[in-house]
Amino acid sequence: MESSPPSPPLPRRSLPHLLNWLNSVGLSLPLLVCLAVLALAPLFITNQYTLRLLVASLYFGSLAMAFDFTGGFINAVNFGFAGFVGLGAYAAALAANHTGLGIWFGLLLAALATGLVGFLTGILTLPLRGIYVSLMSWFVGMTLMALASAMLKVTRGARGLIVPPLYESASNTAYLYFLLMMALLVYIILRLIIRSRVGLAFRAIGLNFDAAQASGVDPTRYKLLNFTLSCACAGFFGGFYAHFVGIVTPDLMDTGHTLEVMALAYIGGAGSLLGGVFAAFLLIPIFDSLKKLMEYRLIIYGMLLILVMIYYPAGLSGVYQKCIQFIKMRGKKNENC
Amino acid sequence: MDWTIIQNLLVTGILRGGLFALMAVGLALVFGVMNICHFAHGEYYVLGAYAAYFAYVTYGLNPLLAIIVAALLGFLAGAITERLLFFPLRKRSKGEWVMNAFLLTAGLSVVLQSVYRLVFGNRYYGITQYWDATIHIFGMTVAADRVMAFVIALLAIAGMWFFLQRTRTGRAIRAVSQDERGAMLVGIDLDRIQTLTFALGSMLAGLGGASLLSLSPAYPMAGNKPLIASWFVVTIAGLGNVQGAIIGGFIVGVFESVSYFYLGQGWQEVASLGLLILILLFKPTGLFGTEIKSVWEK
Repeated sequence: MESSPPSPPLPRRSLPHLLNWLNSVGLSLPLLVCLAVLALAPLFITNQYTLRLLVASLYFGSLAMAFDFTGGFINAVNFGFAGFVGLGAYAAALAANHTGLGIWFGLLLAALATGLVGFLTGILTLPLRGIYVSLMSWFVGMTLMALASAMLKVTRGARGLIVPPLYESASNTAYLYFLLMMALLVYIILRLIIRSRVGLAFRAIGLNFDAAQASGVDPTRYKLLNFTLSCACAGFFGGFYAHFVGIVTPDLMDTGHTLEVMALAYIGGAGSLLGGVFAAFLLIPIFDSLKKLMEYRLIIYGMLLILVMIYYPAGLSGVYQKCIQFIKMRGKKNENC
Repeated sequence: MDWTIIQNLLVTGILRGGLFALMAVGLALVFGVMNICHFAHGEYYVLGAYAAYFAYVTYGLNPLLAIIVAALLGFLAGAITERLLFFPLRKRSKGEWVMNAFLLTAGLSVVLQSVYRLVFGNRYYGITQYWDATIHIFGMTVAADRVMAFVIALLAIAGMWFFLQRTRTGRAIRAVSQDERGAMLVGIDLDRIQTLTFALGSMLAGLGGASLLSLSPAYPMAGNKPLIASWFVVTIAGLGNVQGAIIGGFIVGVFESVSYFYLGQGWQEVASLGLLILILLFKPTGLFGTEIKSVWEK
């Protein structure tokens, strides 16, 4: 696992203070540019289909980010991830259908419910290590799916729950901004945690469990915290999905979806948070634009995952780091001349 | 409670358990020797099922011959996979082997499922029966196919046992599972053994898919159920414990048929998964697990 080194402090005199502050919450200049492009995109793109594609990319990227928070940092692969996303979607759907307290309440409920189940799963996985954690979370995810199919009275089983859309109009622009806001919120929170002492503890646990424990990091607390947060984020985005698509079925919790998110996260680079988002924006539109490729979509995902695993575990973020390094080297050379 | 119901459930459970044991032995072997948590095991099961279908229906081979062809194909596919994927991964991996190999099999599973869909479509390739006969057990009528599948599974497991216990290569496999470095020191070719192990594991899966063809047809996603079932068995038995996998197979078979009878389809899955979580929680090494590194002996 490769972790991104902390970016060097920006020179005070050349850049305004604001940028410096933004950087400290994780919004570096390149990222701000990307955000601006994405935020301005609806002004130039009128095609609803393209907009919907952007929302889908951002959605999967956000999931990959939440996945990476456990997978890339404490090195525990949550193999039941889709189950948690689905749980969030069901929670939001049920809240929307039965309470009428508004979208934010539903999303909050989704995050809380998933966080709670994530916390319980975290407790279950505490005595376990490595691959057993993945197995346990896989079983929990499958249990959630089995429950969703079996509890006909609550979830209507395979027929699915119908969820009212967020907005009256069919426009996707509003959805894009809404999801962008959610993703930014989650990113900033996760990023602040990663950069704090807690994040350091996460990395220590991920790199060497025993050494971390020996040097005074309490793995119990940090593992639980990490699992709870990551699952809560999964549920949060799952809640959005329910409103975006308008129907929730147990299929949403299938292991195949976990694999998709996992592939994005690892292609993006483990331990980078944003790698998966960029991977999503790179891959999902490509798959979609080449209609013929849709059939091969999962094959390409799987192949890419295999190739990245074998030949380049650092993923996209590794490529990015290399580029940055290269540019800096060149800059230094020029200064020397 | 009716005695005949219990008998019924036991017979179905044990017949089903034989196949679970067969699949799980392959899974346990691969884990015990290579430390791979094989997530694509079900895909070799499907491969076996497809192969048996085409050998039996298209080429009109004798059922037994068709099943043997399917097993051989599984062996070949396993060997190729190992050479193409796990071999390079092993050469490049630095200490993260178990997790990386697991993720790789996950990717492999996605790829194979999609390839099946591309090549064969979503159609169900099934046959009604291999052997047109019924057999009476305890006054219960059972299709000959079920019994034959059970017998084939037992024979394959026995053959595997003989191979691992009595032949030189089999002993080498066990040696690698116990201590890789020690095995290398006494002159065992690790690469060859690993390829062979993976191929054997895939062969068992293919055999399972082929002999069950009349009961569950071949389609791209057909591998999921047997995969989960064999993981169930392996978790109960303790990862890598081949001996335990045999007993575990029968336990799971009986448990599934009993819980299916009393709870119905949906809740049966919840019950099995709940049981799994409990076992993993209180006895992560499995019911019979002592040390993970063991093939055929504790």
